[in-house]
Amino acid sequence: MDNQTILELTNVRKVFGQTVALDSVTFSLRRAEIHGLLGGNGAGKTTLMNILYGLYRKDEGEILHKGKKINIQGPKDAIRQGIGMVHQHFLQIGNFTVLENIILGTDIDNRYTMKTQNEEKKILDLCQRFGLDVDLNTTIDTLTVGTRQKVEILKALYRGVDILILDEPTTNLTPQEVDALFESLRVMVNDGLSIVFITHKLREVLSVCDRITVLREGKNITTLDRKDASEEVFVRAMVGDKMDIENSIYFATDQRSSFVNRLDQAAAFEMSSVSFINKDGIPRLKDVSLNIHSGEIVGVSGVAGNGQRELAEIVTGVIPVSHGKILLDSKDITHTNNQELFKTGIAYIPEDRLHDGFLPKANVAQNLILGHHRNQPYSDGNFINWKTVFKETREQIKEYNIKTSGPEDVGGNLSGGNIQRVLIARAFSMPSQLLVAHNPTRGLDIPSMDFVYQKMLKRREEGYATLLISEDLDELIRICDRIAVIYRGEILGILPRSEFDKYAIGRLMSGIKEENPATEEKALP
Amino acid sequence: MTIVKKALPYFLAVVASFIAAGIFIALMGFDVFKAYSTILFTSFRTPNGFIQTLLKFVPLVLQALAFTIPLTAGKFNIGGEGQMIAGGIGAAVVGILFSSLPAYLLLPLVILGGIIAGAIWGLIPAWLLYKFNINEILTTVLLNFVALALIDYVCTGALRDPGAGHPTTVAIGVGGWLPLFMKNPPFHAGIIIAILVAIGVYIYTARTTGGYELIATGANPRAAGVFGIKVRRMFVLSLLLGGAIAGLSGAIEVAGVQHRLIEGMQSNYMVLGLIIGLIAKGDNRVVPFVAFAIAILEVGASAMQRTLMIPVEMVFIVEALILLFVLLSDVVRRK
Ligand SMILES: Nc1ncnc2c1ncn2[C@@H]1O[C@H](COP(=O)(O)OP(=O)(O)OP(=O)(O)O)[C@@H](O)[C@H]1O
Ligand SMILES: [Mg+2]
Repeated sequence: MDNQTILELTNVRKVFGQTVALDSVTFSLRRAEIHGLLGGNGAGKTTLMNILYGLYRKDEGEILHKGKKINIQGPKDAIRQGIGMVHQHFLQIGNFTVLENIILGTDIDNRYTMKTQNEEKKILDLCQRFGLDVDLNTTIDTLTVGTRQKVEILKALYRGVDILILDEPTTNLTPQEVDALFESLRVMVNDGLSIVFITHKLREVLSVCDRITVLREGKNITTLDRKDASEEVFVRAMVGDKMDIENSIYFATDQRSSFVNRLDQAAAFEMSSVSFINKDGIPRLKDVSLNIHSGEIVGVSGVAGNGQRELAEIVTGVIPVSHGKILLDSKDITHTNNQELFKTGIAYIPEDRLHDGFLPKANVAQNLILGHHRNQPYSDGNFINWKTVFKETREQIKEYNIKTSGPEDVGGNLSGGNIQRVLIARAFSMPSQLLVAHNPTRGLDIPSMDFVYQKMLKRREEGYATLLISEDLDELIRICDRIAVIYRGEILGILPRSEFDKYAIGRLMSGIKEENPATEEKALP
Repeated sequence: MTIVKKALPYFLAVVASFIAAGIFIALMGFDVFKAYSTILFTSFRTPNGFIQTLLKFVPLVLQALAFTIPLTAGKFNIGGEGQMIAGGIGAAVVGILFSSLPAYLLLPLVILGGIIAGAIWGLIPAWLLYKFNINEILTTVLLNFVALALIDYVCTGALRDPGAGHPTTVAIGVGGWLPLFMKNPPFHAGIIIAILVAIGVYIYTARTTGGYELIATGANPRAAGVFGIKVRRMFVLSLLLGGAIAGLSGAIEVAGVQHRLIEGMQSNYMVLGLIIGLIAKGDNRVVPFVAFAIAILEVGASAMQRTLMIPVEMVFIVEALILLFVLLSDVVRRK
């Protein structure tokens, strides 16, 4: 061990019931480095870091801190040793201010008067030093996910940690926020902190990490310096030879032919001049018109928070339309409730998987039929046929490669990416006229992303319509036939595949509309 | 996980709480082994003991289900007591007003009167929740007090039995009495109803789509709503069902045990019901078994008081400790 190493985990093993989550994993962290932790879904990244942070007890192995063996019983111990963690799905108190959330659970100087100037000064100091600018007096509820993440990082820094673990911190950030985060991380590292950074995005790893460790199915495969690394090396290490890189869509270089827009045909899905005004009277969708033909994938691109969520929920009937009209298969569904819609042919992959799409306390089988639980073959309308459900579930666990001990496994035991796979399986396993997929590949490893793309293209071939709302422009360009750009609740333009151009789309995404848009919605019937 | 592994923490919790309570019993100067053998075996030594256990089981299992059904949907019904009293009032009023009707009419009416009155008592908090988003814990608890006042009013009002020393109504018509399997000791047919209800609840929650929606609502109301389940309706339905079942327990108390409405007939069934529901971790399938175990303890407790002069409260402590240890085993296992 060189004197640079401040933390070392050796031969760590962790077993949950029958699943071996970690099998003699070794991991070392140097002072002042950003260490990437890569691996497929369910490889054990979160588990390994949870052990380091004291949330799980390890079954075997040792943790060495500056060469000394340490025993971490819980997060308190971890923080005392200078280890902090920002979780994949973190918890904050919504109606507390940023300041209150940060100092919660720590001692403050003026304990009886609750005056917090000293603490505030200390935090402001941290904000400035690391370029994390947050207004300390706003309540958490009003903040974007990106800012809340900063709060979470500040929380750790405020406790004086010098090792910071970030579990998939970039999944919910916009590209600008990702850049800002990376800058802050660099400053921290220059300050002597060490950072463990978990992600599925190879590009991020290559741009920001100093060293990278790859886990596969609970074993560590390799640790590389950045200069020895490339995307393909990682994919090989992460999945072994299981992935067929030649035929993958993720790595595809050839141009896929564009959708032949049979404009003479009526669209499978049509929304015209749809508006949505929220509870507070603020218009979140303005005059949105969009149609999707059978066998077409239409993408919606935009910076997060420009009305994508409302669009998805309007189409799936979760929230009511304020004005306008929606047709599915020429049938008016403007005021059809979502229970009906799920019965008659809409499938949905919501963006916020944990809140909007998953039952952590229920088992995998119960999760897989959510929304389809009144339909054949799962149910006759009155009784659920659990035998069929379990049979189907077993098949889907296999097909969608869900890492779980079986249909009766509790949903909450699954890793982040495997929860996403459950949502994917649910949406694709039922025939649907229209699929609404909102950031469907979030948190998935590359082979699973590829699998989702294959599935979408299959739908396309079979003549079903798909609405893909995504913040990942590369993803949209990869598989969409047309891309609509949404900005402040308005569709600023719709481009066909032949006119896909990152810069043009980027301009529209930031609200810059060209004088004479060639491809406006009105050009289509 | 295997059954053995699942049952192990329960077993340990029971053992641990017996040891803990045993220390107290010993300190108080009683014979621990005698006390425990009385508690555990009274139910099985004599037919009478077993019948007493079955009779005890009826209100306990119903009260526990009145708590766990709403819990399945994520709602806390702490109003089982009020709903039971309301059910008792409903049953007694019907039984007294139509006392001359023949049994095949009066008995169903009495039972139905109890169920409906309990359901109404559950519907009030449900409606307040649906309409105004008022927390159901608060309203169900407060309605207990309203029910206590109401039973006092009924038992001392027009239907009062002037001959009784305690606030009591006159007897309901004989047609409204639950048939007896046996006269001495009186063993009424309420056990059949309770078992049918437990089976019905099992079928409903585990097999039907409605039951699935109840579970999904409890597991994550937001996601359930996004995927087409009418969550707020499920809340109402769950509290309504809970109220109806608690009301039924009141009706059985009137039609099977007392044959009249007596103040205090609710005993401490609700608290025991909560304890049973929590020990069963809200699982409707487990509730009957836990209820039966608690019924054994309860019957044993009375015997212990009679023969050894150890206060029944000791057993209440044991029950609470079991719950505590079961909850504790959860915390320990989580890591
Ligand atoms: N509390 C738990 N109980 C049972 N199994 C668990 C538990 N936590 C994790 N696992 C299992 O351990 C394995 C590793 O999970 P982990 O969350 O570490 O994966 P991950 O690498 O973080 O994946 P992802 O990229 O999907 O987040 C998975 O198979 C998961 O199902
Ligand atoms: Mg993870």
